Amino acid sequence: MHDQSPELLLQTRRHFFERCRYGLGSLALGSLLLGDGAKPVNAGIATNPLAPRPPHFEPKAKRVIFMFMAGGPSQLELFNERPKLREMTGQVIPESYVENKRFAFLKKDAKLLGSPQKFAQHGESGQHISECLPYLSTIADKIAIVNSMSTDVFNHGPAKFFVNTGTPRFGRPSIGAWVTYGIGSESQDLPGFVVLQSGPRGPRGGAPLWGCGFLPTTYQGVPFRSGKEPILNLATPHGINMGRQREFVDAVHDLNEMRRAVTSDPEIATRVSAYEMAYRMQSSAPALMDISGETRDTLEAYGIEGDKPSFARNCLLARRLIERGSRFVQLYHTDWDHHGGPGFEINKALNERCHEVDRPSAALVKDLEQRGLLKDTLVIWGGEFGRTPQGEDRNKLLGRDHHIDAYSIWMAGGGVKGGQTVGETDELGYYAVEDRVHVHDFQATVLHLMGLDHLKLTYRFQGRDFRLTDVHGEVVEKLLA
Amino acid sequence: MRRYLQISGLIACWLATTSALSAEDQAVDYSRDVKPILRKNCYRCHGHAKQTSGLRLDSGASALRGGDSGEAVLPGNSAESPLFLSISGSEDYTQMPPDGEGEKLKPDEVAVIKRWIDGGAKFPADEEPDGKIKSDHWAFQKPVRPAPPGVKNKDWVRNPIDAFVLSKLETQQLSPSPESDRVTLIRRLSFDLLGLPPTPEEVNQFLADRSSDAYEKLVDRLLASPHYGERWGRHWLDVARYADSNGFTIDGSRNMWRYRDWVINALNTDMPFDRFTIEQIAGDMLPGANRDQMIATGFHRNTLINEEGGTDQEQFRIDAVADRLHTTGSVWLGLTLECARCHSHKYDPITQREYYEMFAFFNADDDYDLNFPPPDDKAEEFQKKLDKFNEEIGKLDKQIAEAYGTPEETNGGLKKLMNTRTRKMRSMPKSPSGWAMVMKQREDPRKTRVHKRGNFLEQGDEVAAAVPAVLHELPQSETRNRLDFAHWLVDENNPLSSRVTVNRIWQRYFGTGLVQTENDFGTQGETPSHPELLDWLATEMIARGWSLKAMHKLIVTSATYRQSSDYRPDVAQVDPANRLMARQSRLRLEAEIIRDTALAASGLLSRTIGGKGVYPPQPEGVYAFTQNDKKWKVSSGDNRYRRGMYTYFWRSQPYPALMTFDFPNSNITCTRRVRSNTPLQALTLANDISFLETARAMARRITTETSPDDEERVRFGFKLCLAREPSSLEARRLDLLIRQQRDAYASDEDAAKTLWGTDVGKNEDVVELAAWTAFSRVLMNLDEFITRE
Repeated sequence: MHDQSPELLLQTRRHFFERCRYGLGSLALGSLLLGDGAKPVNAGIATNPLAPRPPHFEPKAKRVIFMFMAGGPSQLELFNERPKLREMTGQVIPESYVENKRFAFLKKDAKLLGSPQKFAQHGESGQHISECLPYLSTIADKIAIVNSMSTDVFNHGPAKFFVNTGTPRFGRPSIGAWVTYGIGSESQDLPGFVVLQSGPRGPRGGAPLWGCGFLPTTYQGVPFRSGKEPILNLATPHGINMGRQREFVDAVHDLNEMRRAVTSDPEIATRVSAYEMAYRMQSSAPALMDISGETRDTLEAYGIEGDKPSFARNCLLARRLIERGSRFVQLYHTDWDHHGGPGFEINKALNERCHEVDRPSAALVKDLEQRGLLKDTLVIWGGEFGRTPQGEDRNKLLGRDHHIDAYSIWMAGGGVKGGQTVGETDELGYYAVEDRVHVHDFQATVLHLMGLDHLKLTYRFQGRDFRLTDVHGEVVEKLLA
Repeated sequence: MRRYLQISGLIACWLATTSALSAEDQAVDYSRDVKPILRKNCYRCHGHAKQTSGLRLDSGASALRGGDSGEAVLPGNSAESPLFLSISGSEDYTQMPPDGEGEKLKPDEVAVIKRWIDGGAKFPADEEPDGKIKSDHWAFQKPVRPAPPGVKNKDWVRNPIDAFVLSKLETQQLSPSPESDRVTLIRRLSFDLLGLPPTPEEVNQFLADRSSDAYEKLVDRLLASPHYGERWGRHWLDVARYADSNGFTIDGSRNMWRYRDWVINALNTDMPFDRFTIEQIAGDMLPGANRDQMIATGFHRNTLINEEGGTDQEQFRIDAVADRLHTTGSVWLGLTLECARCHSHKYDPITQREYYEMFAFFNADDDYDLNFPPPDDKAEEFQKKLDKFNEEIGKLDKQIAEAYGTPEETNGGLKKLMNTRTRKMRSMPKSPSGWAMVMKQREDPRKTRVHKRGNFLEQGDEVAAAVPAVLHELPQSETRNRLDFAHWLVDENNPLSSRVTVNRIWQRYFGTGLVQTENDFGTQGETPSHPELLDWLATEMIARGWSLKAMHKLIVTSATYRQSSDYRPDVAQVDPANRLMARQSRLRLEAEIIRDTALAASGLLSRTIGGKGVYPPQPEGVYAFTQNDKKWKVSSGDNRYRRGMYTYFWRSQPYPALMTFDFPNSNITCTRRVRSNTPLQALTLANDISFLETARAMARRITTETSPDDEERVRFGFKLCLAREPSSLEARRLDLLIRQQRDAYASDEDAAKTLWGTDVGKNEDVVELAAWTAFSRVLMNLDEFITRE
């Protein structure tokens, strides 16, 4: 997208120069070096691929927090109330709905299943939200619910790739990578694209979900682990304290600069600045993770208990990350795959998942608003697909199969028009019949809010320009404030 | 019916007006009269290159076959033949050719077509489709060997490569860089040919050899080293998307290392590249194929397998076949064949139909587990298991055969049976003597059809295996199978494979290929920086019997290769990307070579070649977030310190230190790695446990292999890491460092003990060890340490 124009490079250099000079620690050696008749050492040219860059047009959102509910939460239990479906419970779905359809597990004669969950209208906007999400209901006027999402693929791994990378296969850049590639990051001591995870296991698909594909590795998501050391190898080895580490970085710096004086290779300057950034991250990342300075009220609002890793804690960390300049924070919470059977019921198990995410996700939106951050922070909540109107009966414990033709997500903040429901499904909740929002449309909209034109955010690879939205995608105007 | 009447009425009118124009009432001859009209007006969209709406008119047979919406020509009945109706512009048809695609047919031309149809639409039985595609694109022309150009500075030229490079430089008024010093040369060569740094002894030996062919001898020695096969084998494993697990979400382990070892061995014995190709693409089909040739077909068994519940196995089988085709396209042809999966290629002359014609070569085999003969005492037991398994498969096959054409087929029962079979095949009993993942041609090959819009559920025309018309022809063969295709890939008439291959070799030595878009030689790819050099190298490789070692020697003995890599501001002005090669390139080492280099410098490196994957230490908690916990029992003894290429590769959670340095994800072919430069790399080198281990080992090496003299020790350590002597400035800085660290650890002995743990010997001074560890750690974090200069 961005040509590395001389102006931009210069700006980048200046920016970096100012940030980096402090604490280089080679001052003591300066006279020694000069005394030797060598070229003077200076911080020099540092090209920083993560430096902030202007987007295509004035953005509504400057950063994103994407809460990814891995497994496919049931829209029929949470957002899309379908009375007709309830009426028709136990009947075989009309043939016209399922001609030529493929399912992961269901058979074609599966019976319809109305939701066991109760719904009510909330806020001035009167949004329909089920009682599974009582906290979210209190911010109904701030969120836009989309009931007409649709995707192309019905297995977990491919569907997650699809939402994140625009294709169901491995190997393309993820949305967070595209955004940081497009506009860089404001943070000089934390990664621009951070991934936080909670739930019993990692999301299916793993690291490629936040990978950089063919984009430079700088743009890949950095998964933070819970605990004091969120990044692998963040802590110095035992026996090396931060004083020794500073001496280490200084020595590496000086010797690298000496080599640069001989070879003139600008790449060495980049490496020098990488060591400085790494050194800063060693203190900034643990500081980020240390939430002891947060008030009791805040912890209470998010529902954070003790030191336990949790989705709630990750929501708070997401806020702390964007406060520190990270561009794109993605939170994965797993185990939404409610097929029925023990532990996967669309009432009991689903309620537990909701309990884990409802309070913190609503608290995050409110917290951002209180701090004046919501207006330019885009918050997204959703999974890779939804669940079928037909039930799955596994030992009398009810669930639903994967469903791609209509499911729900919600969005709030930066440029999103809250207090509305976009899209409508048929009365069984099977197909989106009004304002259908395909995954590529959703992606185009997210980029649009970030000030990026999804048609122009491209990267040339294997002889063609690739986009997040492939050759599709239209901005969903209704979602824009 | 009503529509039909309307149309016939219209035609009747029209005929009345045009019949006068076709004065002669002679019989229409297809070849003489009809074909030229169709060629002129229709082939562009309905010919070999493109079949809009699935319709092809470049032979009588294909015209009669029709397209996606049915028949185009009804012999004897022009009034109902869509071909006639559309060229004549009847009401219910968009008149062809559409606007912007050419001129409408003249009335007398339309009349000829009409008469041909009404006369029975006859055409010669032996007619060949006429649409042979010609392309002017350089890469589709067979390379012609150019003579090396004349140059002014003749003394600089060591071999023809240099003449091509220098000639270009001279036109830009640029001079080449001076030759690198000898230490840089041996370090460069060692990294490039073996992926290992030279030992101080090797450096000394080379410096001491003042004979005029010292450099050539060094090259020969390195090319003869078994580590050559590892280094260049790993490059090949990148393109082969080699990994030790199945990928996707379950990502179970797999047994591929024998294929990896086959690659290493084939390169070490300098198997000619054409043979190397044929065995990997179709080794199983060679007459009397031996075990190694079967194992070679593991190349295309490196595709992913989705073990997730609820998946449609046929879908993922097709994805794997597609990947095999795409990989073959990238690796041998430098073409983006994948672009033609859903529609004809937008830029290159490859149609969607041709895509599926090539697809057919790879759609005729089964994934197969090759069992090695078990030892005698276990043979019977194993055979029993195998018989039972075969019986179960036989039953399934019978059920599948029965399901065809029954309600089972339509209600999805067939699909389910096939899914069951695919999954079952993976649990084939494994021989106690070992086994390998290979390909096996089916006795009854599958039929291949065009997948409309790339969707395998929407099957179009059946196609026979064939190669794209724009390229050379498949060698004469009755079979037209995968083996024929393999021969075709390395046929001397193939304009692409030799160029693509030498270009990729070149890329490893200079950072960028002569064609920068190393996997796209199509019309969207970049034109070569040195077209004549590329063609000279391509023809040279064939002339040298496809010997890779010969090509390596040729390149690394050139003056071009031997230049200094120092950055030159004067060159950067004219040629910022160094495409003209007025200097060598400074290249960061690959992920696994960084590990190897640290291990080699520290003396820990195990030089064992091949065998099962190993598990070097990695930071704790790497698997905290994968779906299925992976086994990672850290290897002990020598296996803890094996070369990086042997690290067990889980696709869903690869070894972090490799990935941080841009190791390929191994899900799809990787023909060129990215070289990033990030803070996470700094954290890895500085803090990762395996690099701390190498720093400690190097500290011990320094303190045991030298006398207790700081200056000597600094020089020794420096040479272990960088091969060269430190400058006085560097030596002074390092002297400052060691004194600083010694003081610090002397005043905090506990920290020294913590750093070293229980590993300190009775006669060892822990403060010295800690100080030299800190020293080693600095050297192993230098840019130069991880750079080939």
